[in-house]
Amino acid sequence: MPTMASSNKNTTESPGPTAPAKSPNQHLRRNPPIAGEAEAIKKAQEGDGTAFATLYGLHKRRVYSLCLRMLGNVAEAEDLTQEAFLQLHRKIGTFRGDSAFSTWLHRLSVNVVLMHLRKKGLPQVSLEETLEPSQQDGQRKDIGARDLTLTGSIDRVTLERAVENLPPGYRLVFVLHDVEGYEHNEIAGMLECSIGNSKSQLHKARMKLRDLLRSGQRTEAAGL
Amino acid sequence: MMEATRGNGTLPMNCTEFQERLPELFESGQDLAGDPHLATCEKCSALVDDLQYIAQQAKLLLPIHDPSPQVWDNIQSALKKEPSEA
Repeated sequence: MPTMASSNKNTTESPGPTAPAKSPNQHLRRNPPIAGEAEAIKKAQEGDGTAFATLYGLHKRRVYSLCLRMLGNVAEAEDLTQEAFLQLHRKIGTFRGDSAFSTWLHRLSVNVVLMHLRKKGLPQVSLEETLEPSQQDGQRKDIGARDLTLTGSIDRVTLERAVENLPPGYRLVFVLHDVEGYEHNEIAGMLECSIGNSKSQLHKARMKLRDLLRSGQRTEAAGL
Repeated sequence: MMEATRGNGTLPMNCTEFQERLPELFESGQDLAGDPHLATCEKCSALVDDLQYIAQQAKLLLPIHDPSPQVWDNIQSALKKEPSEA
């Protein structure tokens, strides 16, 4: 049986003031070298607008997908994608190549989203609110109904939809940890909560996702 | 190695105890396959399988969404208004 230990992760170079403490041996799992990227970075650092457009083309999908998953709102995700690339334009001169560019840009984008959420003062970053166990999400609910199991049955679209339906606080930690690959100590730094809170939130998010996915399966099985 | 046993380290946990410790067990990174409680509890085994499956599948969620062309238009407009710091 495979384990669920964290396996990926992040940055060695800070792109902004809210980036948390760094950990050794961390790297993003999805930062393969991109053809033409290094040259585009160099030229963009020298002020070449075409090179900056190239960087946008190479990274827009990843930055936007991150924003959309964290926010669950297309308009906000587009606004913050715009803001992330504007910040990139301002800060690209500080990128020294100590970490992969995609890792650095990713962290910058996460920080942009978190700053936005803090300004809004919404529950997305008020973890305590969703950390409180509820009757609905309590882990001792009847979790063992034997009708269906998930293994091998969930496709990407179904999981995407379920993640969209997570409560904002759950979704934020789940996306940062399980999708984007950040460690709990990093998430705790970003969200200004304890590591224990981050772990607890993640577990509840997974439990909630399980409920959502199993409910979907039951609906499907019933032909509804 | 952390095992799903009671405080005295000898008796397997019941379901409630096991589920309470599940986040900790997951985060320890250990292989739960040989856990004494899971060996005898189908429900908790299914739960563990499902949660591990969800975590594994989440890692496969690739960036698939593209912003509208308007985003780049807005970026270009904004850049024209601010001096480059490069």
